[in-house]
Amino acid sequence: MWNGVKRLSALAAILLLTIVVSACNKGDASGKVQIEFFQNKPEAKGSFDKLIAQFNQEHPGIEVTQVNPPEAETVLLTRVVKNDVPDIVGLGATDTYSILAQSGIFTDLANTELPRTVDPIYLKMLKDVTGVDPVYGIPYAANANGVMYNKKLFREMGLQVPKTWDELIATAQKIKAAGKIPFYFTYKDDWQTNLPFNALGPNLVGIDFFLQRRENQVTFQDKYREVAEKQLELLKYGHSDNFGKNYADGNRAFANGQGLMYIQGSWAISEIRKANPKVELGFFPFPTGNDAKAVKLVSGIDTLLAVSESTPHKKEAEEFIAFLLKPENSKQYITEQTLFSAVKGVTQDDPSVAELLPYFKSGRVIDFADHYIPKAVQLNSIVQAFLQNGDIDAYLAKLDREWNKVANRR
Amino acid sequence: MNKRLTTFYWMTVPAVLLFFIFLTLPALQGFYYSLTNWNGFGHQYHFVGFKNYINLFQDDNVGNAYWFTFKFAIVVTIAINILSLLIAMGLNAKIRFRNFFRGIYFLPNILSVLIVGYIFNYLFSNVFTIWGQNLRISSLSTNILGSEQLAWVGVVIVAVWQGIAFNTILYLAGLQTIPTSLYEASNLDGAGKWREFWSITFPLIAPFFTINMVLAMKNSLMVFDQIVALTNGGPGRATQSISHLIYTGGFRGGEFAYQSANSVIYFIVIAIISILQLRFLQRREMDN
Repeated sequence: MWNGVKRLSALAAILLLTIVVSACNKGDASGKVQIEFFQNKPEAKGSFDKLIAQFNQEHPGIEVTQVNPPEAETVLLTRVVKNDVPDIVGLGATDTYSILAQSGIFTDLANTELPRTVDPIYLKMLKDVTGVDPVYGIPYAANANGVMYNKKLFREMGLQVPKTWDELIATAQKIKAAGKIPFYFTYKDDWQTNLPFNALGPNLVGIDFFLQRRENQVTFQDKYREVAEKQLELLKYGHSDNFGKNYADGNRAFANGQGLMYIQGSWAISEIRKANPKVELGFFPFPTGNDAKAVKLVSGIDTLLAVSESTPHKKEAEEFIAFLLKPENSKQYITEQTLFSAVKGVTQDDPSVAELLPYFKSGRVIDFADHYIPKAVQLNSIVQAFLQNGDIDAYLAKLDREWNKVANRR
Repeated sequence: MNKRLTTFYWMTVPAVLLFFIFLTLPALQGFYYSLTNWNGFGHQYHFVGFKNYINLFQDDNVGNAYWFTFKFAIVVTIAINILSLLIAMGLNAKIRFRNFFRGIYFLPNILSVLIVGYIFNYLFSNVFTIWGQNLRISSLSTNILGSEQLAWVGVVIVAVWQGIAFNTILYLAGLQTIPTSLYEASNLDGAGKWREFWSITFPLIAPFFTINMVLAMKNSLMVFDQIVALTNGGPGRATQSISHLIYTGGFRGGEFAYQSANSVIYFIVIAIISILQLRFLQRREMDN
């Protein structure tokens, strides 16, 4: 028996030792500065891998490694709990970023060269989202939310790109009358249900609404009735199983010509092309109202780059971000990902998004609504439930109630 | 100290320590956080007393999650126990290819819940709907997981499909403890199959029935993976279970303290249910 005990304690000692050793492993053996780059886009892993390989080659003293787990935002939050913030974080400008920025875990980069290379409109967007002044993140790439359409099928039916809400509905009616699917909805995934919401809200009500909502000066019940009505209106022009198909189903179906329009973000383009490389895609901003000139393109920061406050390698981290922001590297990234660069002077040349470029050029862009809504409100599930039961009063009341509840808990 | 006793201390003390460090301590910590307004990652938080608990009782999302979870757990527990008892009796009879069938029925238990969930998710949206359309059954031609009223049935189907395997094994083990002489005697007395089941089989596997009821109930009260893989709590919050609510609200919604309070209550509820179930069912065992 004593033998067994000895063996057990030996085992325990080995266990302890491995824990100690693996804890030490964080320090580097090669003499290089190790930088961890954590980012949340699985689609972008390959693109970043290429850029990182190039950076590591050019900087023999630094070694950047990419970490891209599934459910990245949740993983990031749990790592912050453990005080184990990655050196560089790549994240969308969402409520998660906003919470993290407010918790002061990122370095203020306002006094570096980095913010000067990017478009000020995105820096302002970050300020609005977080409600804080320091530049905790450098906008890197932006996306667009609008209506994708199948150019070939549009041509065959002789349809024009709609510029106003009425034209959009008229187009949908024509398509429906021809026995085809106007919009391919993928509302089994709750985050898909809020794409029209994200376009309608900021355009019809404005982003200021959320800043005032935070101060409790306005309510959804006052301002969002039109948004809700239009959300419901769209549902008439879907297919037979709007709530049964998810995002992946939709990308496949739309790529193969089911549905002429697809309310979606630019992030889906690469997925759709994977399903059918020959599909002719077009993309127009969501015409939310009847003044064609007032329509703004909904565009949010798809990825921003932030440096941890606690990292001992701030200088090297900034060097890596500066490398990513170089026009040629940014161009390579947005070309592969069909995104839009936040870097001044870098343009997206993909024909599928050509119709969106004038909006970027003239600054007619507006941020996503849900970037301003606390995550705990769980907007997506509220919208999804509303589209199922169609009760506008209950929906708007629920938005206000949930918002207040969350504000009260903070 | 007696040398033999020392050995036993060596066995129990580390276990107690480990249990305390990895289970009791986090539970106490969770209770502590439930009295604060911590978001889960910030560096500062304040004591708010029992505010979280008060808010919990006014939150219809919480009520909704409890309602769904209990409805789900009761249906699943009953369905699993009936079906797995039937299957176990079939597999215990002298049928051909008995071991082969036993293997087949155990298979779902080996597969990961998440993978099974994703496979069924695909089947529900892309395969069953096509069957429904071809058979012209309108209720089957749309994805039931996408319907607020029916989504829970879909989750129940998957949970039962997978849960049966383990309970069948336990029932099989129970059935094998019954001496065959009892059946021979009842045969001589001219008892029918039905009578045989109620008077011999069921009373003798009563302890197994108890443990199966408690396990199935506990597992389905804690349902999480199936929900993530099948509906993610949707549509709306129609299939949001309590553990899913705790996870989404606590880790993704930044309301760690609030959901800690929820899990403290949830822990108490599960403990009470398990104790009541055990007492009630064990008393039934004695009666027989």
